[in-house]
Amino acid sequence: MLIRVEDLTYTYAPGTPLERAALRGVSVEIGPGERVGILGRTGSGKSTLVQHLAGLLEPTAGRVWLNDVAAHGRTAAARAQRRRVGLAFQYPEDQIFERTVFREVAFGPRNLGLEEAEIVTRVRWALEMVGLHPAEMEERVPFTLSGGEMRRVALAGILGLRPEVLILDEPTAGLDPRGRRELLARVRDWQEETGLTLILVSHDLDELARVVERVVVLEGGRVVADGPARRVLSDGQLLRAAGLDVPQPVLLLQALREAGWEVRTDRLLPEEAVAEIAQARGLLEGRP
Amino acid sequence: MNMLLPGMYVAADSALHRLDPRVKMGGALLLMALPFAAQSLGSTLLFSVFVATVALLSNAPLLALLRTLRTVLWIGCFMFFFYLFTTPGQPLVALGGIGVTWEGLLAGAMQIYRLCLLVIVASLLTFTTSPAQLAHGLEALLGPLGRVGLPVRELAMVLTIALRFVPTLFGEVEKITRAQQARGADLRSRRPWQRVRSWGPVFVPIFVSAFRRAEELATAMEARGFRGAQRRTRLVQLHLTRRDLAASLVVLVVSLAVLGLERLA
Repeated sequence: MLIRVEDLTYTYAPGTPLERAALRGVSVEIGPGERVGILGRTGSGKSTLVQHLAGLLEPTAGRVWLNDVAAHGRTAAARAQRRRVGLAFQYPEDQIFERTVFREVAFGPRNLGLEEAEIVTRVRWALEMVGLHPAEMEERVPFTLSGGEMRRVALAGILGLRPEVLILDEPTAGLDPRGRRELLARVRDWQEETGLTLILVSHDLDELARVVERVVVLEGGRVVADGPARRVLSDGQLLRAAGLDVPQPVLLLQALREAGWEVRTDRLLPEEAVAEIAQARGLLEGRP
Repeated sequence: MNMLLPGMYVAADSALHRLDPRVKMGGALLLMALPFAAQSLGSTLLFSVFVATVALLSNAPLLALLRTLRTVLWIGCFMFFFYLFTTPGQPLVALGGIGVTWEGLLAGAMQIYRLCLLVIVASLLTFTTSPAQLAHGLEALLGPLGRVGLPVRELAMVLTIALRFVPTLFGEVEKITRAQQARGADLRSRRPWQRVRSWGPVFVPIFVSAFRRAEELATAMEARGFRGAQRRTRLVQLHLTRRDLAASLVVLVVSLAVLGLERLA
């Protein structure tokens, strides 16, 4: 699916003293199968932007096109396009309401009007995708699960819709480091397996560096950068101007470079930085 | 959050914002009682003019203020029809055994108008008075009842907490609504029963989070050493200024004038 955002502006509570512009003229294009990260500090407009992509908010000005159909439209065509976009909100476990895990995950597929057999297949598939055993989990009460399990059940609820575009808004917020790593690995696997478009909202640089190939940086409701992850995430000046941190490996490599080492500074992951330093040291000591 | 609700505080600076909460609450109570006494056209008019003046003084966004009337739409309609069908008088239309009278139409319209004035006065109070101030004012006004065993401080605390969480809860309803819509929930169904049922996915999570929030809040309050029964001191002390006295006087004079007009009519 081709997503086009044209000069999108959105204002919360217009005409009241609480009026606040969340987006001011955002233009972005996301092609099929891309892995895009949306980065920005709290209040930069990330969540507002992705809610527009799912057609949940009506632009104050500008347009959002899903395959050339207006995302917010009320036509059957618009509804059909929206169904191909799956959005998991921040803390998706907050939306859990059913008596059993099965019913919870089946809610979305059921709303699509699928046959019962297909629903069962999808629920089992989705639970497996998030690393839960269908046979063990299906009849459990969601509210008795642990936080991490609830998060996974909620994400399964979105996956069960089998979206072509999967939008995850801060999917790892509040998870422990191991839960975080596992979830991200799964996200990458889904993407590779199905070739879906993945849009990951985050302010965790390490997370983005591991999953996405392109990063869009928002600040004050505007796009301040859009390009390959390696370039954007190693641009210290840009990140600082957007109120963000610079990835630790980049900082280390920059310091080494200033100290006269022959290293590249666009290595975003710790293991990449280690390799880079090892290589430079090898050169220093005359080894290959 | 896309609208202004009654019970929501709008931080701003105006003559009304600066008044002592006790004066504002006492004044609002008096003004809210007044429409029940004022039935005539003259007194209602004077009262309306006064409320309009106060609204202008409050710096409140007028459109948003009028929008708060939506909250009483249904009860307003109910009152209107109640008066329409039950007031005896000159028949306007007769539907079978039930008659609609001219007097009923007038009385119904009057009731709606009065209800609107009540809501506006209440909204003006909450728009211009922060929850903390409201609680403080309530505590002061109910103070005398504390001697006969009413837990005044606790009531004030409950009120503060309730008001504090009104916007939070509405924000949450909005978020969960969108989240379920993203899963294909149809919340705009035309058939009433289906509509009620389709809101389950929204209200269940809201209740769950409200209970969790209540527990967390209780823990947080205890962790800060909150003990309801203890006599606590206040960071902010209320002092009546000359402006407060003047405002009280104005409200009293207007109230007496309204009652006077009513007497004449």
